[in-house]
Amino acid sequence: MSSGSILTLRAVSHFFGSRLIFKGVSCELEPGSIMLVAGPNGAGKTTLLKIMAGLTPPRAGTVERKVPDRAMAFMGHQTFVYPALSALGNLEFWNSVYGRGLDDAALFGLLDRVGLKGFALESAGTFSRGMAQRLSLARVLLVEPELLFLDEPSTGLDTASQALLHGELEAARRRGAGIVWISHDLERDLGRADMVLGLGGRGMSYFGPAQGFFPEGA
Amino acid sequence: MISSSLAIARKDLRLAFAGGQGPVQAVLLGLLLVFIFSLSAAPGERFSAQQAMAIFWLCSSFGVVLIFSLLFRFEEENDTATALLLSPLPVQSLWLGKTLAGLMLLLLCQVFFFPAALVFLGLDPGSNPAGLVLMVLAVDVGLCVLGGLIGAMGHGQGAKDALLTIIVFPLQIPILLGGIRIGVGLMQGTPLGGLADWFGLVMAFDAVFAGAALFLFPHVFRGE
Amino acid sequence: MGMFRIYPKILMILAGASMALMAVGQYAIWYHAPEELTMGLVQKIFYFHLPLAWWSFVAFFGVCVSSVMVLWTGREHWDVLAGVMAEVGVLFSGLALVTGSIWGRAAWNTWWTWDPRLSTTLVMWFVYAGYLVLRSADVGGTKGAKMRAVLGIVAFVDVPLVFLSARLWRSIHPAVLASKGGGLEPEMWTAVWINVLAWGALFATLVLARYHGAGLKRRVEAALIRIQEKTLQ
Repeated sequence: MSSGSILTLRAVSHFFGSRLIFKGVSCELEPGSIMLVAGPNGAGKTTLLKIMAGLTPPRAGTVERKVPDRAMAFMGHQTFVYPALSALGNLEFWNSVYGRGLDDAALFGLLDRVGLKGFALESAGTFSRGMAQRLSLARVLLVEPELLFLDEPSTGLDTASQALLHGELEAARRRGAGIVWISHDLERDLGRADMVLGLGGRGMSYFGPAQGFFPEGA
Repeated sequence: MISSSLAIARKDLRLAFAGGQGPVQAVLLGLLLVFIFSLSAAPGERFSAQQAMAIFWLCSSFGVVLIFSLLFRFEEENDTATALLLSPLPVQSLWLGKTLAGLMLLLLCQVFFFPAALVFLGLDPGSNPAGLVLMVLAVDVGLCVLGGLIGAMGHGQGAKDALLTIIVFPLQIPILLGGIRIGVGLMQGTPLGGLADWFGLVMAFDAVFAGAALFLFPHVFRGE
Repeated sequence: MGMFRIYPKILMILAGASMALMAVGQYAIWYHAPEELTMGLVQKIFYFHLPLAWWSFVAFFGVCVSSVMVLWTGREHWDVLAGVMAEVGVLFSGLALVTGSIWGRAAWNTWWTWDPRLSTTLVMWFVYAGYLVLRSADVGGTKGAKMRAVLGIVAFVDVPLVFLSARLWRSIHPAVLASKGGGLEPEMWTAVWINVLAWGALFATLVLARYHGAGLKRRVEAALIRIQEKTLQ
């Protein structure tokens, strides 16, 4: 067991009711690396991510995170945006929840980074999916996470937004963040990953360097 | 925990008033109830203080249900509930924040209910307004403490949250009785000291359910 | 697994015991205990009312204990037990209310009076009837067991508050209250205790029957899922 890992899973299994989803999942995440989670629909990728993030307790096995909650962020297909608040209002709320203590200028700066500066005072309910997801990205940047979970965040994003997202992920990795990433587009994203965790056949089908992973049917 | 609760309460109040709506639904329903009950007396006939207080607290009780259903609906759209669970926020501060926001909205509703009871039910407020305010606050805290806990159960349930009312209303009975009895006492000029038993009961309700909620809320709100 | 074989046997014993105790209890009520002087025959209701009220209270306490165990252990059978207890509790307290009301009509010439005990029973009947409706509506989905447990605890926490408020309420509105059950003759007490025991046996029978039934239902469902999975493979 490497002492440098910030997230360690040992023999994690999970069920829905009495239905086995997966068993025996063990992995480690180093700081400054990206772990891609791959697998067919229904293999339990999202469930595994929730277990890693501490949202769902696993039925068996252990999860160990060496990162406090305030340095952890999650970005999924849900945008986590309050539609009745402005873009700035959303960030202000998360700013106080995470105790970041940023002033409005810094929050404007974050909105600028995701290309929403011109919409800062507009209600987030009027945003398109892409804009809402950019706002979600701003929330993640606000946290400056050391551990980041992504559940297919690029679904429904245009090319520019995707480029923005990938750029920020790369920056976060260089800063030393550990990233767990569920992706459907393996061809596109495999090159960005360091490690791959493959789920399938109600268990872990692969865990190792990204170079050694060949998706089924590829 | 206090500061994050205040952040939640502030956010919820902003959301509640964002569409210019606020607790309009609760206010309208309460006013309607007062008006309908006013029809149960013959023209010119006055309601007894007890009848009027009972109607006032009935409106507040309905209001609480609507208010907390609104407050927890905020966390459903775009699954912000998950985001809150992932945040460093202690889960209990979510309950406390919602309870505080609900208390503010309930007090706002009662600003409308009370004059309505004066006008339509011929309620005589008596000569102890400070005592009345104290009583309303003490009872409201209990209603909201319970509302914040049970309201969270309706979260993510769709239409099923309406079902929760059938257990909320009977649970509220002791504190509603307290509110009615203290209100009547104050209006008839009983000094506060003479109502100590009832105040004790109301405070006990507040304390018991606040303790229960702090302990039980995490089970209600956390996934699985 | 073994318990599924043992439960039916225990059930038979319990059912037999409640039948025998009920028979003895009825004999004690009608032949052993003397007729009360002021109230006459109506006083016999008391022998039904008291055990029903007591056991319903035990049932509601059982709901609370089982609910705590759900949160503590996370085991499903505690959730089932809480539901079963609530069912029997609502049934018994409902019957206690009906018998109490008949008693009130005979003793105080009113079907309903603000007696603290009676009022508390009524409020509890409402609370637990609501609890049962929520159970059958499957409120809570996947985290339903925890939700139900929280409701089961909250409901019981409310009981002393309801009782206190009902007592305070009455102290200003004095009701015509005869001293209930005061000055019972020894034979009357015998009848009371036998009937408490008899209703207790029936209580246990009903709880176990429903609990066992729920367990069997779960086994059948699990077996059906296994069959489906086999045919799909």
